[in-house]
Amino acid sequence: MNKEKITVTVNGRKHEKEVEPRRLLSDFIREDLRLTGTHVGCEHGVCGTCTVLVNGKSQRSCLTFAVMADGAEIQTIEGLGTAEKMHPLQQGFWEKHGLQCGFCTPGMLMTAVELLKENPNPSVDEVREALSGNLCRCTGYQTIVESIQRGAEIMRGGK
Amino acid sequence: MVQNRGYIPKSRQREKPREGLKYIGKSMKRVEDPRILTGKGVYADDISFPEMAHVAIVKSSHAHARIKRIDTSKAEKLPGVLAVLTGAQAAEICGPLPTWSSPPVFQRVIAHERVRHVGEAVAAVCAESRYIAEDACDLIEVEYEPLPVVVDPEEALNSRGDAVLHPEHGNTNLILESKFDFGPVKEDFAAADHVVKRRLRWPRSGGTPMETNGATAVWDEGSQRFTIHVNSSMYNFVGWMIADTLKIPHHKLNIVPTLAGGSFGAKLFLYKQPVMAAIFAKIVGRPVKYLEDRMEASLTNDAHASDRVYYAELACKKDGTFLSFRQRIIDDYGAYFQYGVGQHGNALAQVVGPYKINSVGVHVQAVLTNKNQQGAYRGFGSEVANFVIERMVDAAAEELKIDFLEIRRRNFIQPDQFPYLIPTGNMYDSGDYEKVLDETLKILDYKGWQKKVAEMRKAGRYVGIGIATTHERSVFSSTEFWMWNLDGKIGWTSSPDSMSIKIDPRGRIYGTLHSPFWGNSPETVATQVIAEQFQVDPSNIEITYSDTDKGLHSTGPGGSRFTVMVTGAIVGAAAILKKKIYKIAAHMLEANPDDMEMRDGHVSVKGAPQKKVSLQDLAFHAYYMRLSMPDPEDPDLTSGLDATYVYDHPVTTLPDPKREHMGIFYPIMGHMCHSMVVEVDPETGQFTFLDYACVHDSGVMINPMTLEGHMRGGVVNGIGSATSEHYYYDKNGQPTNTLLTDYLLPSISEAPANMKCGHVETPSPFTEYGIKGGGEGGRMGTPPALAQAIEDALRPLGVKITELPLTQKRIRQLVREAQTKRAAD
Amino acid sequence: MKPAPFRYVRARSVDDAVAALARDSEAKVLAGGQSLIAMMNVRAAKPDCLVDINALSGLDYIKVKDGGLAIGALTRHETVKRSALVKEHCPLLAEAYEWIAHRAVRNRGTFGGNLCHADPASENPAVALVTEASFVLKSAKGERTVAAGDFFKGVYQTAARQDELLIEVRIPSRPKGQGWGFVEVSPRKGDFAMTATVVTLELAGSNVKAAKIALTGVSDRAIRLPSVEAALAGKPATEDLFRAAGEAARKAINPSSDFHADDAMRRDLASTLTRRALTAAKSRCA
Repeated sequence: MNKEKITVTVNGRKHEKEVEPRRLLSDFIREDLRLTGTHVGCEHGVCGTCTVLVNGKSQRSCLTFAVMADGAEIQTIEGLGTAEKMHPLQQGFWEKHGLQCGFCTPGMLMTAVELLKENPNPSVDEVREALSGNLCRCTGYQTIVESIQRGAEIMRGGK
Repeated sequence: MVQNRGYIPKSRQREKPREGLKYIGKSMKRVEDPRILTGKGVYADDISFPEMAHVAIVKSSHAHARIKRIDTSKAEKLPGVLAVLTGAQAAEICGPLPTWSSPPVFQRVIAHERVRHVGEAVAAVCAESRYIAEDACDLIEVEYEPLPVVVDPEEALNSRGDAVLHPEHGNTNLILESKFDFGPVKEDFAAADHVVKRRLRWPRSGGTPMETNGATAVWDEGSQRFTIHVNSSMYNFVGWMIADTLKIPHHKLNIVPTLAGGSFGAKLFLYKQPVMAAIFAKIVGRPVKYLEDRMEASLTNDAHASDRVYYAELACKKDGTFLSFRQRIIDDYGAYFQYGVGQHGNALAQVVGPYKINSVGVHVQAVLTNKNQQGAYRGFGSEVANFVIERMVDAAAEELKIDFLEIRRRNFIQPDQFPYLIPTGNMYDSGDYEKVLDETLKILDYKGWQKKVAEMRKAGRYVGIGIATTHERSVFSSTEFWMWNLDGKIGWTSSPDSMSIKIDPRGRIYGTLHSPFWGNSPETVATQVIAEQFQVDPSNIEITYSDTDKGLHSTGPGGSRFTVMVTGAIVGAAAILKKKIYKIAAHMLEANPDDMEMRDGHVSVKGAPQKKVSLQDLAFHAYYMRLSMPDPEDPDLTSGLDATYVYDHPVTTLPDPKREHMGIFYPIMGHMCHSMVVEVDPETGQFTFLDYACVHDSGVMINPMTLEGHMRGGVVNGIGSATSEHYYYDKNGQPTNTLLTDYLLPSISEAPANMKCGHVETPSPFTEYGIKGGGEGGRMGTPPALAQAIEDALRPLGVKITELPLTQKRIRQLVREAQTKRAAD
Repeated sequence: MKPAPFRYVRARSVDDAVAALARDSEAKVLAGGQSLIAMMNVRAAKPDCLVDINALSGLDYIKVKDGGLAIGALTRHETVKRSALVKEHCPLLAEAYEWIAHRAVRNRGTFGGNLCHADPASENPAVALVTEASFVLKSAKGERTVAAGDFFKGVYQTAARQDELLIEVRIPSRPKGQGWGFVEVSPRKGDFAMTATVVTLELAGSNVKAAKIALTGVSDRAIRLPSVEAALAGKPATEDLFRAAGEAARKAINPSSDFHADDAMRRDLASTLTRRALTAAKSRCA
């Protein structure tokens, strides 16, 4: 099988790899780069779990071939914060119980990062609209909305 | 030992419910979260080893067929393919998969000779990558000889000949039939003024967690052992059954839990993935991962849920008093029968709901059809029973012209009647149902809504209110499985959970759980209870999980049992440790061991808190100063500080051998009231929530925040079950919605934006601190309330709801039929 | 669920792309991939060769040209959704986007790719029919323009030949005074439509001057309802007329049944949604 050489920058680190054209970006991130924080839920673009930011925009990594990301800047959950120093959104999810099993959470977080970049103080309806393509089976969603609003509040300088 | 009906064992509760607890009852942030939130949680697919190979399966395209021929030669030649197995080859390597059905209905990891549902594995490939494995699957040719397909559960009652899935169990697909009368059913029906009759239909849905099932197996040639990493539960309860399937000595298998990305029952006990990964790991001599893909997760994950037809009858007096409840149930189990009719034993734990009903008649007909088999899903069959009793109560209210809340109040078991035995023999430990109902009505502003709804209806809007008062039985003991073993064998009678606690030489506390994380908050629960027991700051506590090598007897989460059971185990282990700690402290402080208490990370003398030793200093002493102990001969004073405790079920009894009652098997009785206001668009069949309020009584709460998480999450599961989720098979046994494009999990747009949660705490007299389970949450209450709300909204059209799911198509159909009928009248 | 192998060509220009399509009769265009890759993951689609057009520049634009919008085929959905030009010149399209997919899919999926995929339950084909859009197709042999009415041929079938690349979609600007309506029922928000009705309406006084009606989700492709449109012309634009149009729509279609909606459901929806879309359109005639 022919391989294509691609260069992608993930969480600020540049990677040059050869990939099969059919290799999904989700598998490239998880297996080739061993960044397993990005999860794969449905493998056909419905659940939003695998959402990452490509050039700053949210994207389903299961509906993208890695070759299509050649030259792109990608951000995954590992590029947000650490357990010692969380990103405000991670902090918000922790405080407001925005996760239970945590499997959909990476997609929720990356979707929320994009939202807050455009709208630092979203209403409940705006958060709900932004999350309409991300399925969660545990929380009933309400605390995810609260978590994102809390994250936004911290980002705006609130305590 | 068989106990008489009415025998209630003495409570073993050590920790009384009380005011002033420091850590229990607080909405502490979860200790699981930092690693999960930063992408460092390790789920099944995150396990990786060098040289790891991957498995994919060839899925049957037929619902029912004989396998005539399989040609794997092209697949074997594909570069990157390491091994290929057919059902015949797999049957030589390993035995049938674990099953609890009696008599056993055997299933194989790869179907052998016959396929019984679409998606069942007929061959499997192990290759360098999942991509190549799937390429090879495409090259495998299978020739089928189709057999008659059985889809409809009521038609399955009459299957004969080739339409029978497992002929070794007789010429029928009626795999189990049981009839019980608990109490004077006939007499009570004879005494009734009115009998409400309904045919009710509960559809096939499933837990459908966002993460699928997966296992990675490593075969160690030197020690001749398998290590299997899997996102399963119950491995420290029945994990040895996988060794039986693999035909290896039990101690040659170690099962290591990963985080589970949700279960809701679907990962109660996984065997297909571990077995498949293990057999290939040994064949290819490399670590092997088998992760179910999303399609397999809906086609062949052994975790579809109850699919029942009820013919239910409720005998009432004119004044609305319930006398007896009788039901015939046909349940479509799919192609296999892993847990037998455990889901019906479960339902009998709370079959009368919160109501006084003198007798219960149950006739269960379990049928096999050409579908993915049933497993567990949040409620394990009791959520269906809740739907049925509540629909019957609503129907009784309507037919007897009694307000639907009033008829409930008239029949509620009263707070002074506990412990209360229901006709099936199960006990309700405690409760206050009116209080829960009243609190719900207050939070919803029921009176306010009644007025608003009346006004909206005048304006031509279709608005309705639904309320359900339902139970959440918690903490199963497994004894109910015995009821259905018609060969007379006794069932299992102990489903304990365990805890290991070690305090290290510097006073830090390590708790080892013997059950996994499957989306609940086990580390947080254990941390809060340990912190309470030792009065230490939670930051000094570390919780880890054991594998089966080091595991103690533990059933694991399921049936809303984990919090109660692990708390019991912690209290037990802490008691052992505290006895030793107090002895040592008493020696160090020159005081009496009976006068010791734990306070702020210290052990101090009661009434003289300045006389104290820190846990850190004490632990150092316990580890390294054995010879300075008071009594060198004291057998309790061995070096170190560690203890384990196996906590058996807090209150359970054996069933009656003549099957007149089931004994106490599911007695820690939570209760809930769910209420909502909905508006229906009768022209499109769509509806929206205008309000939602629910109040749960889960006894004393350990962490209100996480409990509310279960409540709200369960509500949205319940909305899915009631309105959009349906694993539907067409008449040829072809599933119509194998992907999440068509199996409709509720998205945020279908969830109420503001679910108001409330709590009532009626402590259990039997569990530590008075805790009850609450993990199955809103799914136990939402469906009947939502059915009632939609029926109420469509009341002007005279629509009756007897069947779920209430899809837009069904609501529209009900409206269309009602309008057509009205036009004809 | 992994895609089957395929040959991959990364096109750097439109000429590059059409040359690749001409060279390989099995080649298929890979645009945003939001439908195609999902189908490939379940191996419902196994293209031998994909010509990836994501790297080529010059097809991502929205501009006003010859009295209408010209939208480059590679323009991402989210760009169309947010475009002030689209809101001004084709508010109907802007409204349709309230119903289309979810943010992450719109970030990647393309306007042209969506139309070429020709899903029978997709929204934009119906918008294209009602606005009488046209499609500019380019191949190594040259360019041609196909009217929307001739473009959609069936489930995933269009008039575009294998060697042709859709490069631009032209949508006439909303005539002054024309109202529009877009009403949809889908299983969940963002899902493909069970049924959606798309209309434009022009009034002469209080009478209908011209109405255009298209439905999606009720056939193997989005369809116009010319007989229903004709019956509206010249009549007073009343709720009764719209109700009658709805009933006519119910009878004019021959929908198939699937798990989410059967024939009766789709006919009911066609009726209700047509009435509602016309009512909405009337309120916007100004």
